[in-house]
Amino acid sequence: MNFLTNRWRTSLLFRVISTTFILSILLISATGSALYFQISNGIYKEKTNGSVVEAQSLIQYSQEQLYSTEYIAKLKVKDVIANIVRSTDQTLTSSPRDVVLVGVPIKNKKNSLYNSSSGGIPVSSIPTSLQKKVEHSTKIKWSRDLITFTDGSASDAIIVGSLIDIPNQPSYELYYIFLLSEQETILSLVVSLLWFTGIFLVLFIGLLSWYVVRQTVNPVRAAAQIAEKLTAGDLDRRMMVRGKDEMARLAISFNEMAVSMQQQISRLENLSRLQQRFVSDVSHELRTPLTTIRMASQVIFDGKEQLDSSAARSAELLMSQIARFELLLTDLLEVSRFDASASILESSPVDIKALVSRTIDQLQPENGKKIKSDFPEGEVIAEVDPRRIERVMRNLIANAIDHSEDKPIVITIKDSDTEVAVAVRDYGIGFTESEAKRLFDRFWRADPSRSRIRGGTGLGLAISLDDAKLHQGTLFAWGSPNNGAQFVLTVPKLPGIPIQNELIPANPNLTASTNFLSFNEDDI
Amino acid sequence: MTLIMVVDDDQDLAEMLGIVLTGSGYEVDLVSSGDQVMPLFETHEPDLILLDVMLPGLDGVEVCKAIREKSMVPIVMLTAKGDTQDVVLGLEAGADDYMVKPFNPNELIARLKVRLRRTSTNAEAKQLRIGDVLIDQVAHSIVKKDKVIPLTRLEFDLLLALAREPGRVFTREALLDEVWGYQNATDTRLVNVHVQRLRAKIEADVNNPLIIQTVRGVGYKAGA
Repeated sequence: MNFLTNRWRTSLLFRVISTTFILSILLISATGSALYFQISNGIYKEKTNGSVVEAQSLIQYSQEQLYSTEYIAKLKVKDVIANIVRSTDQTLTSSPRDVVLVGVPIKNKKNSLYNSSSGGIPVSSIPTSLQKKVEHSTKIKWSRDLITFTDGSASDAIIVGSLIDIPNQPSYELYYIFLLSEQETILSLVVSLLWFTGIFLVLFIGLLSWYVVRQTVNPVRAAAQIAEKLTAGDLDRRMMVRGKDEMARLAISFNEMAVSMQQQISRLENLSRLQQRFVSDVSHELRTPLTTIRMASQVIFDGKEQLDSSAARSAELLMSQIARFELLLTDLLEVSRFDASASILESSPVDIKALVSRTIDQLQPENGKKIKSDFPEGEVIAEVDPRRIERVMRNLIANAIDHSEDKPIVITIKDSDTEVAVAVRDYGIGFTESEAKRLFDRFWRADPSRSRIRGGTGLGLAISLDDAKLHQGTLFAWGSPNNGAQFVLTVPKLPGIPIQNELIPANPNLTASTNFLSFNEDDI
Repeated sequence: MTLIMVVDDDQDLAEMLGIVLTGSGYEVDLVSSGDQVMPLFETHEPDLILLDVMLPGLDGVEVCKAIREKSMVPIVMLTAKGDTQDVVLGLEAGADDYMVKPFNPNELIARLKVRLRRTSTNAEAKQLRIGDVLIDQVAHSIVKKDKVIPLTRLEFDLLLALAREPGRVFTREALLDEVWGYQNATDTRLVNVHVQRLRAKIEADVNNPLIIQTVRGVGYKAGA
């Protein structure tokens, strides 16, 4: 059943053919039954009319015979009745029939002296309803009923009856029974013919619709297959163009679309290549003079004892601003590498616990609260790019220290078989929901007045998010004013496997749920 | 005096490097194009080469390969690109270490010192054995199956560090600290590339290393 509903949803061919099948079955059975009724009605009407006419003349003839016993001495009533009551086979002028003679009871007294029948039909098999009608009328009455033979078998028949006078006897009823077996044979032939034609028609229509639909569906299927191949990156795929019909037009426009798509893509690829070249050139061109400047400033700074106080202070400022410029340049180049999709993941198995501990040691604020860690036992090995993950951790922890207002910072690591999550929680100033939306924007600062404590570039979180995405991981943020903030980085333990579980929910007030709600970055 | 050959096409940077290095007590040889390196190298015999990757003429990677064919002199690459490709290409060509521009001059000096230092030898255990490789600490050479295998000083230091404590698992960070003089660094490329180079020289089967074994997720250790 599931298979069928699935096919119904996924295959146009299946849907059209099954619909055609069902509709043609309905239509053909309706026509078939109408036809059958017409034919059977006609046949039975014909037979009834013939039977009634035939019986009428027979009854008349029998009556005459019976009357004649009165003046022809040698004729005995008994013999005449025996002659009347006998089966007749088909002749040229008459149909096969049987005869039943029943006495009409007089004042509930039985009157059955001449009761007789032919063809193994018991006298009692005449339906009483018909008997009643015959008794109360001088005319011929008839009905179609089931006749039960003495051997128990039954057959459909037309029974025609009338009162008959037997001289010196009370009233009798004479019935002629015309069995309908012949008509039934004809009808069963008609039925099997109807069935045969019906089934043949249904199959034929089904086949026809399959053929017709296939002609339409095949090009569509081919288009779908080629579209899939195009999506998969096989941009040279095209549809075959045959003839000049609508399908050919579909193929032609499809191919035109593919060509224009290919051109667009190669144009974008070119742009991306140019962008990468540009980034790399800028990188080289800027870095070489910056190196010279930096070394020169270091030499000046190292000799600042020999300078006067304002020149010495200038040397200090020069040093610190060159360092800041350098950081900014590094981050900018990293961002443009992400934009040009030129970032490469260099994965190797890394103990995340050791990596995080090392980062904490580097950043541990000397005065103020210590960073607490909640790590699982043993090693937490994941195949990640250590340079990037360390950069993310450095950004998150430095960020937490900047905004913690000397309150404690808690770093939690949790892992499953497939992924590892690191949460950095602080209890500092936090941020509002509207701020949360812009948190990962480049150069965005929550509070411009306190932004430059650590001289961050304003690109840290944006780069961290890109780093997480490059790992096919996630980076979520939660914050509440004056209650602090929590950032959760989750990365797969093996590259290329999407995150399945939310090991640590971004909102620390929620407990971990196994059902991971994936929401896009706009929700962060 | 220790002679350092500085190969850089940027005149100002080369001059600045000259000032800093001279200030630290080194003798400096300035070369401005890749083509001039080999002829000068043979006559001047520098103790260390500071080599820019982007050079007119023969580029840094090519120069590096050419030097390695003749000498095991320490080479430190200067690169403007921190990109993996450049760094790995340089390291694979035989550079011992690299500095990404713009670098801190003090850090540069520190690195050069590490590369120039003579590994302190243990007089009591002159010879160490690791697998079928014999390490002669006095002669600074290694012998495998009666054949002396030429190693760069860095490769020798790396092998010695592992061999001194057989069975101990060294993290890449520990090796960076011990052999390269880095503190708190995670540049695993440096370690990985050099381990590969070293294996290519001493292992019978590089794909199934017995002397320097990988401990997955942690680092390396010396085999028995």
